[in-house]
Amino acid sequence: MAGTFEARARPVRLVVRDDDLKRTRLTVLFRLLLAVPVLVWAALWGITAVVVAFANWLAVLIQGEVPDSLHDFVAGYVRYTTQVSAYLYLAADPYPWFRGQEGYPVDVEIDPPGQQSRWSGLFRLLLALPALALTAALGGGLSFGSSSASSGSTQGGTEGFWSAGASAGGAASVAAFLAWFYILVRGRTSRGARDLVAYALGYAVQAFGYLFLLTGRYPTSDPVLAEPYSELPEHPVRLVVTDDLGRSRITVLFRLLLAVPHLVWITLWSVAAVFAAIAAWLAGLARGRVPLALHRFLSAYVRYAVHVQAYLFVVGRRFPGFTGRPGSYGIDLEIEPPARQSRWTIGFRAVLALPALILAGALGGVAFVVGFLGWWYALIAGRMPEGLRNLGATCIRYQEQASAYLLLLTKRYPYAAPVLEGRQALEEPSAPDLGDAT
Amino acid sequence: MPGDLALPAVDADATFGAERVAEAERYERFFFVLWALAQVALFATLFLYARKGASFTRESAAGPIGTGMLLGMLGLAIAWLVGLPFGLAALWWARRHDQEETGYLGWLLDDWTLLAAQFAAVCLALLVVMGLARRLGERWWLPGAGVFVGIAALFTFVAPYLDFTTEPLRDEALLAAAERYEGELGLEGLPLRVVEVSDHTDQANAYAYGLGPSRRVVFWDTMLAAPFSQPEQKVVLAHELAHHSEDHLPEGIAWFALFAVPGAWILMRATRARGGMGAPEAVPVALLVVAVLQLASAPAASAISRRMEAEADWQALRVTHDPAALEGLMVGFSETSLGDPDPPRWTQLLLGTHPTLEDRVAMARAWAEREAAAVPAPGP
Repeated sequence: MAGTFEARARPVRLVVRDDDLKRTRLTVLFRLLLAVPVLVWAALWGITAVVVAFANWLAVLIQGEVPDSLHDFVAGYVRYTTQVSAYLYLAADPYPWFRGQEGYPVDVEIDPPGQQSRWSGLFRLLLALPALALTAALGGGLSFGSSSASSGSTQGGTEGFWSAGASAGGAASVAAFLAWFYILVRGRTSRGARDLVAYALGYAVQAFGYLFLLTGRYPTSDPVLAEPYSELPEHPVRLVVTDDLGRSRITVLFRLLLAVPHLVWITLWSVAAVFAAIAAWLAGLARGRVPLALHRFLSAYVRYAVHVQAYLFVVGRRFPGFTGRPGSYGIDLEIEPPARQSRWTIGFRAVLALPALILAGALGGVAFVVGFLGWWYALIAGRMPEGLRNLGATCIRYQEQASAYLLLLTKRYPYAAPVLEGRQALEEPSAPDLGDAT
Repeated sequence: MPGDLALPAVDADATFGAERVAEAERYERFFFVLWALAQVALFATLFLYARKGASFTRESAAGPIGTGMLLGMLGLAIAWLVGLPFGLAALWWARRHDQEETGYLGWLLDDWTLLAAQFAAVCLALLVVMGLARRLGERWWLPGAGVFVGIAALFTFVAPYLDFTTEPLRDEALLAAAERYEGELGLEGLPLRVVEVSDHTDQANAYAYGLGPSRRVVFWDTMLAAPFSQPEQKVVLAHELAHHSEDHLPEGIAWFALFAVPGAWILMRATRARGGMGAPEAVPVALLVVAVLQLASAPAASAISRRMEAEADWQALRVTHDPAALEGLMVGFSETSLGDPDPPRWTQLLLGTHPTLEDRVAMARAWAEREAAAVPAPGP
């Protein structure tokens, strides 16, 4: 992709520059070790940055604005740690060196300081907690603490606690882990994994920019931020979002319990789906195509899973039906009719699907956090934030694309970039690929 | 139990202790008032829900039966929310009198879990009723009642197999007594089990459940500890075995069938104006009707239950020959559960599933008198 794509006009924003997705195998092989010096340096810088952030806090309380010099220091730190994280997570190839570089492939732009509310400044740490929780789930907000030093970093200092979970299993960490193998084999990274990591970094940058008082604007998780640098290729399994954002508080309050009949039903349906999948696998091996009846049955099952997940995680508004009927729900899945598939990929489908299922698990964690945060928000406001809803929808989409791939509903690998709309891919994929668009 | 049995008068203060009786009266009065208030709140809520609840259909993308399930669950959820303060007040009162050790959060979580089970139950019930109503129209009520009776029987049968919280009873003396009592009652080899509850309550209880091969008796572990003596525990054992020997559980299902048939018919008639039970809009009305039917049938249901309990007491006396133990047991219950020996008549009528403690003591004394009269006087 050529050119520079900036995220929508936010005071703290991620910029993804020219990236041909090629990576040097040797530096990727030793990426973790190579990153040690910059991680140590970022940790030392982080200690100072936290002290300065505290001064920022006092400045906001006193004069409602952060002085330029303090703002620039912390902004430089945030920018540098983003570059280090991009390097560590394989979203960028050049070594980040020891200060924020101009023109680094994954970079941050931060607006000059502006007026901030003293009240929001006073409670900044508390207000930032939901964003930090989501950052941890996305795996973008890693710390320099001893427990997570080996995993990488975007921010440092006292946030280690919030970031510990991310280093263990955040979506970006998992994507980077899988991309590491992919690059060693193919010499280039997966587009989808790169976009997912970039999105996670972009959210983390916003969250820590808000925490460190670089901006008074709350971070948005809307995948629209990733659209400028992401692609959403045509896929036989597509998510369709027609739902509104209004939520009935009483149905939100009891959402988990209201989902009980669906959870019981999907458990029973899953048992039948296992047998159907085995039958589809045998038929696919014999004929190179899944019989229509089995395809319909498994499609309805996967679609129903989307409906139930969306309802459970407050991504969807209304109580879903029990049949997985196409077009019956506001968060729906379109699945194309059965097509011919390679018998080899059918034979080894469970193995081939493993990376996607691992990433789907990590994105399931993100969906859970989305559901938890969205539950509170919807309970208070009577509506779901659009950004959070869309992020949840993209997580569900990936999970069910992975299921569809496993269940032989499509030969196309799921696509990891967390966007609902994106620039169209230039060409069709030719082989199973880790969330690759091209 | 003899039909001509006349219970002698019992001086509650002398039997249970005046101070304890006064304390138990105070303790239970609070619950009775709370229950009455909770009922008022419940019916007001269900009445409002019956009027406005149909508007929640817009929150459903499911078909008529799925939408009906949503409305049923929402009705229960709202009723649960309204009842929450009363439940918490009851817990506070029980904790204040050392009757309960469960924390508020633990109680809330337990209650939440119970609500989940109620949701599952109401969904199953609505699946049956609405499915039949959509297929059979207004004639659903007769097969519907039959299905519910079947479900009740099935649940009674399988419930013991689904309970993984109990352990076998290991008390040798009780096991030996059980063998003897079973012989006298015409039973054989019923499993005796214990469930641990002492970590959150001091109250004591035991129960019989199951049907046919799944029949068993379960003791709370508090029942097997002080202040209850072994003879008193044996009376409890005999009482629970008697429930099985008298076939009280199948009889209970039969009684349920007798109530279910007219109840289903009334439900059919009451929901006709909302399109009948096949329409989801009728579900809020159905919840109100079911609540009314439950309250209306409570005196009859309680009376049936009291009669069964009295029968079990009588059988227990017959096989243990120990009226003093039964009397001691009732005194023990008044201590551990702060039970009022002689509660107000209206509460006993509506809520009394067992004879009052006073009546049970009276039965023990009546049995002793009969036994004494039956033994021929020694010759001169």
